[in-house]
Parts: sequence; structure tokens; C-alpha cells
Amino acid sequence: MPDLKFTKAHEWVKVQGEIATIGITDYAQSQLGDIVFIELPKPGEEIKKSSQFGTIESTKAASELYAPVSGKVIQINDELVNNPERVNESALDKGWIAKVRLEDVAELDSLLDESAYREFIDKEI
Amino acid sequence: MDSKKTPFYQKHLQNKGRIVDFSGWALPVEYKSTLAEALAVRKSCGLFDASHMGEIAVRGANAFSFLQRLVSNDLSILNVGQMQYNLFLNESGCIIDDLMIYRMRDSFFCVVNASNKEKVLKWLNENIQSEVEIIDKSMEYSLLSIQGPKAVEVIEKVFDCQGINFEYLSFKEIQIEGEEIIVSRSGYTGEDGFEIYFPWENSSKWWDKLIEEGQNFELKPCGLGSRNILRLEAGYPLYGHEIDDTINPYEASLDWAVKLSKGFVGKNELSKIKDIGAKRKRVGFLMLERAIPRQGYSIHSETGVIGKVSSGTYSSNVGKFIGMAYLDKDYAKIGQEIEIEVRGKLYKATIVKFPFVSIKTKKSKKLKLKT
Repeated sequence: MPDLKFTKAHEWVKVQGEIATIGITDYAQSQLGDIVFIELPKPGEEIKKSSQFGTIESTKAASELYAPVSGKVIQINDELVNNPERVNESALDKGWIAKVRLEDVAELDSLLDESAYREFIDKEI
Repeated sequence: MDSKKTPFYQKHLQNKGRIVDFSGWALPVEYKSTLAEALAVRKSCGLFDASHMGEIAVRGANAFSFLQRLVSNDLSILNVGQMQYNLFLNESGCIIDDLMIYRMRDSFFCVVNASNKEKVLKWLNENIQSEVEIIDKSMEYSLLSIQGPKAVEVIEKVFDCQGINFEYLSFKEIQIEGEEIIVSRSGYTGEDGFEIYFPWENSSKWWDKLIEEGQNFELKPCGLGSRNILRLEAGYPLYGHEIDDTINPYEASLDWAVKLSKGFVGKNELSKIKDIGAKRKRVGFLMLERAIPRQGYSIHSETGVIGKVSSGTYSSNVGKFIGMAYLDKDYAKIGQEIEIEVRGKLYKATIVKFPFVSIKTKKSKKLKLKT
């Protein structure tokens, strides 16, 4: 998947035109364990790269969600409110968190590609 | 500091347990899924490594009078082969530790929290009398706990026994394969279950035996995460959350474990507290909105802050977010609506009666162990 990018905070971004879909990585969900609660951003909200835009909680702990890119939230995955376990089941697909209209496409250049991300988590383990 | 390892540490690694440090011990918080492990215990059965627990033997001619003066519950009603929930209290009537006491033929076997063991040993030794011996047996015994409606069937297979007369909160010391083990019908989940103390050395084979026989009974290895969910569902307090040495048993809703008809350390203060009434109370609550309540979160009513969360979790058996809290006594009423502050936002909850699930310990099937 050439259009999939990652952050060191374990989020992924999939870009189609100027719309970026955001989620957390499969590695992140496996580290969190059973996810039981997600606080999503609100549609229309402006989010800023590297700042907190939501919270995800597993049975073990609460973790902050950091925006991988800046932009306006145009859609959120409402299904996660009542079925947060979707993120465990399908982190990269059905467990997507929000769609954002990109403010600055150049921000994408600072993100990791799949092999760089893989290398990063291999070091973390 | 390196965490201490139980004899089952390699088994946890083989089962891909996610190891954490718990009171200085390397133990699995979960294997695959905390929620699935908590479900398995109420549906079939689960196996827990509880070898971190402290075991202290008290023996000698004055062992009974010594302990009876240091615990809140009445040891005189305990026969050999029975066990009792108990509290060690300080002079202010607050809780030094909660423990189970097993009455053996020639001693009392006290099972204390790992985090409190050194404190308890010190306190016991400060109160020592003649003809009393206090022995730390924590490194002599490992402990496996098998919990759930099918636990009894696994025990029947592993120990080749069946029959009658092994009631909840009783135990047997048995000889098997040349080893002395202690099997008690007890646990920390609200389900029927057994806690088995093995000689520390070579005990890992017992994990294998239980897992092997357990295959036919959907036995699942379980970590600390599910243990915490299960005890919360059952309404049981956890030291460091619901109880500590600033909280008394009336506040903790543990009145039933206090017998003012006998003398014990802390009784004077407790008698006064009983007359005045506790200022705050431990209660259970159910979240009406989705949010995880965690220890320390503030609880609000229209008049302001009225208490604090002591524990909270998502309960896979109830299917809701549940918790325990300390509330000002005026608000500690079933049905009281409260709001819990989670990251700056208020979420609605309601006070409910303990436990959150039906307790199965009293209806245990009759079982006779070979002695």
C-alpha cells in the first residue's frame, strides 16, 4: 500500500486526494490490548499535527491520540463509540478513526513509510 | 530492580503472557485478551498464578490468643480445616492488610497481600508474645488458583477424587506424588473455585497437569487484568484501592468481618466510629455513559465533589463500565445519581448494590478430596 504512512506515535494515514483517513496501527492495538473506549474528535474540529485529538483506552490504560497531520475533521467513525473493539479487530480498515481535509500536503513528507515504520517498531520491541 | 519470578514464569512466556511487575513480581497482566479471560472464568474456568501472595505461619502454644487479639474477625468459630476472611487493623482501626487465615492442626496459615507482607511481618513481630512463632513461608509455597463453574471438574480429574463434604472456605492438606499440598475451596472471583499451594520447587509440572486436564473444560490461563475485573464484579476490595491504613472497615463496608464481641487491636476506635457512623462509604457504581472510571477520579453531585473513584473497569460479564468509590455517607445510597470527572468531562453513573454478578461460592458442588 504505497499511500499508507505512519508516525512514531503509532498512527497511520491513508491519503486520497486531499483527504486523509487516520487510525492507529495494528502494532498499537496489539500493545494496548482490549480497547474499550475511544474519545473521537468532533466533525468540523481543526486538529494540529502532533497534538492530542482524542483518547483511546484499553483495559490496561488510557492513551492519547496524536494527530499525524493537520486539518479539518470532515468525518468520524461513529461506530467506534459503541464498538471500540473494531480497532482490535481491524485497526487498518474498519477501525479507522477520522477523516481529515489536509491543511498542508507537505506534512506527509515527514511521516514514515511502511518499511521505515516496521524498522522503528522492531527497535522498540 | 528485577522482578521476582514465580515457578510458572516460563509457562507464562510460553503462553505469550504479557509480563508486568506487580508488587515486585513478574506476572502476566493478560495472555491474549483480558476481557475474554474474565468471560471464561464465569462461563467455564480460568487458571491464575497467585504465587506472589505472602504466606505466614503462626504457631506455638499461644498462637490462637496472639492472632485473635490482632484480627477483627472471630477466630474462635474456625475449626481445623476451615478458613476465614480477616483484617489486621492498627490502633486507629484502619486496615493494615486483609488476609485469609487457614486453621491447621498445629498452626494458623495467613495468606497476605504480596505488597504488604514485609509490613505485616514487622507488625506481627512487634506484637510478639511468648510461645508464639512467626514463620515466613512465602518462598516455600507457590499458588495456583482455578476459578469458575467447571473448576471442580478439573480438580476431580487432576486429584482423582469425587464425592462430598468439601465446602467453600474449607481446605485439605493432601499427599500426592510424595508432595504435601494444600487445596482450599476459595478464590477472589465470586465463582466456585480452588486455590492450591504447592511446594515451590518443581511446581511448574502442576501448571501443565491442570492445563492438560482443563482442555476438556475450556480452561483458560488468566492474567492479573481479568483477576481485577472479576473481583470488581464480585464486589471484593483490593488493598491499595478500596482499603489501606487510612480506611476503616465500616467505611469499606466490611462490617461483617468485624466482631466487636471480642477484644482486638483497633477495637476502641472502631466502637466509637460505629456509634457515630462512618463519614464515607465504599459503594459500587454503574456508568450510565461510556467512560472508564479510574482510581482517583473525582465524583460530583450538584453540590460539588462528594467522593473519589477507587477502582473501575469495563466488565465483560456485565457488559458495562463499573467501579467502586468512596462517597460521603449522605450520598452513599442505592440509586443515587452521580457524575464522574474523566479528563475534564462529567459522565453520569448510578450507585448500585454489590455484587455486580451473582455470587456462586455458596452453591458449590460437593467434593471429597483423598487425604
